Amino acid sequence: MRYKSPPCETCGNREMILLGKDTVTRFENFKMQVGVTSSDDNPTHSYLNSRGIWLTYILIIFVAHLLFLSVPFFTVAFAWTLTNVIHNLIMFIILHVTKGTPWETPDQGIARTQTQWEQIDNGMQFTPTKKFLTTVPIVLFFLASFYSKYDPLHFMINALVLGFNLVPKLPQFHGVRLFNINKW
Amino acid sequence: MAVIPATWDLYELLQAVVQAPTYHIVFEILLILWIIKLIFFSKSYALEKTVLTTKEKDELIEEWQPEPLVPDIPDTHPVLQALERNIITGRPDKYLNVNGRSCLNMATMNFLGMAGDQTIETEAIKCLRKYGVGSCGPRGFYGTMDVHLVLEDNLAKFMNCEEAILYSYGFATIASAIPAYSKRGDIIFCDEGVCFSIQKGLVASRSFIKFFKHNDMEHLERLLIEQQKEDKKNPKKAKVTRRFLVAEGLYIKHGDICPLPKLVELKWKYKVRIFLEESFSFGVLGKCGRGVTEHFDIPVDEIDLIAASLENSVGSTGGFCCGKKYVIDHQRLSGLGYCFSASLPPMLASAATQALTIMEANSAVLFTSLRENAEKIHDGLLQVEGMKLMGVPISPLKHLQLGEPGGDRDMDTRTLQKIVDEVQTLGVAMTLARYLEKEEHCLPQPSIRIAVSCKLTDTEIKNVIECTKKACQTVLNENSS
Repeated sequence: MRYKSPPCETCGNREMILLGKDTVTRFENFKMQVGVTSSDDNPTHSYLNSRGIWLTYILIIFVAHLLFLSVPFFTVAFAWTLTNVIHNLIMFIILHVTKGTPWETPDQGIARTQTQWEQIDNGMQFTPTKKFLTTVPIVLFFLASFYSKYDPLHFMINALVLGFNLVPKLPQFHGVRLFNINKW
Repeated sequence: MAVIPATWDLYELLQAVVQAPTYHIVFEILLILWIIKLIFFSKSYALEKTVLTTKEKDELIEEWQPEPLVPDIPDTHPVLQALERNIITGRPDKYLNVNGRSCLNMATMNFLGMAGDQTIETEAIKCLRKYGVGSCGPRGFYGTMDVHLVLEDNLAKFMNCEEAILYSYGFATIASAIPAYSKRGDIIFCDEGVCFSIQKGLVASRSFIKFFKHNDMEHLERLLIEQQKEDKKNPKKAKVTRRFLVAEGLYIKHGDICPLPKLVELKWKYKVRIFLEESFSFGVLGKCGRGVTEHFDIPVDEIDLIAASLENSVGSTGGFCCGKKYVIDHQRLSGLGYCFSASLPPMLASAATQALTIMEANSAVLFTSLRENAEKIHDGLLQVEGMKLMGVPISPLKHLQLGEPGGDRDMDTRTLQKIVDEVQTLGVAMTLARYLEKEEHCLPQPSIRIAVSCKLTDTEIKNVIECTKKACQTVLNENSS
């Protein structure tokens, strides 16, 4: 059973608490900093849990899709496949290629070898955020398939980019670098 | 993809669902099952971390074989041999006790004999009794004592400058001063033969560095004209670009003097600022030891910044920069070596003050005899067969190179080392000029570096020359046979 813990007294952050054989509190990323409010060194752990970010994400996808649709010589099928491909490529690069903390440095390279996906929610599996991020590309694939009338060429392209975003999200692939690609 | 018609209505789309290929439907059903399992049947969990039991931990600790803190070095290791070859006891004065034998010291930069001066020692000890050893803080943070202010004041007065700033380490002086003024995007024109500390300052400044050939004023002027042309193309950028000219008064790597009058002329003509590093010319050149400006009789105001180490002629530790007040004051917050290092130990500051006093009081004797000695040694060493003498006669720094270098640096170094060893058995201590060979810009040929002191007597000078001649003859004959 999982529930959201009450907010931390000093910084207001909610951290996941697992109830099982023994209760594990995950406050290890919260360090005391003298003179300032204590905060997480690594924003990747939690930024996808912030208010409104899921909605923003979906809105961005659809605005982008509308932009593609408004290009005169793009067909509906092409616009949907383009949306899907671009979304999946960007997601792959942001979540599964980029490592460490690209914008913030106070974590001093602890997360240097971890992709963004592996850092989300401190590396916990099947958290709501991770379920959400897995569902979105699948739903996009359904939409792209539907609007391209199940065309084989579109299917191949869409399924390929989908694979790139589903396989690395599996718990079995946590910390795995196939053929040592992107290892260091 | 353009083969697909432009638009469909919903009916056509739904029709397509019915006609969808089987593989596609299977794939989609699998995906739907995945989503359902993911959303409704997957509990979140943290990945297991390997937790070791106490027993496993103990075993691992048991297995661990620490590497030795100091690796075992065979006694024949060249570095070890080099370290143990010359063990010096006592003070590096005019005579040096190497391996229990007293040798005439031609190796350390004790040009004015300040390192052995009794009055300086007394002053330093007096200051030690008052302040203790360290200053316990940077200058801006409880590290300023009256002796520092007195020394800065005296240095400024000695150099006829408005202000001087004191650093606690000679190497850091120019290496901090250059990046304090020259930043990314600025341009530094620099002589190729500058010493290592300047090179580090250039790197730290992150500016564009344009090296001109050693003391080649035509090359420098060519570079300056090139820059001028480039500036005309982009005047907006040129307006915010600072241009500096960095040169050494007396080049330690070459033993010669920079052509300062020409540098100053180019400075005014092409609007650059001159930084002069005078570590080896301060207390050496000029009638009163004020350095290369006095040597060429050029007012100090013409030079934008003079930096010098107090570790050579003055025989203390640290360094200083001097110039106009508004130029020097900038370093009190921007000179990294000044801001972030503990200040010079007070006793060394008072030692330097005393050395300055001596330099002022005995300027006639000290600098005349230093120049004469340098010239005498120069004349003598010119006659050494098989060797090439670098440097100008009045420079107390001489570089003795092989007349016919063998082309292999290691071999040449070994030959020169043999000569140095041979000279040492004859009672004169000399040393090779040593460099970080991989990091040095424009590595000079291997050489024996000879430092002349003003305290040398005529007989000692003769002795040095005779010994060098003899040693070179012995080693070179041995090599050729």
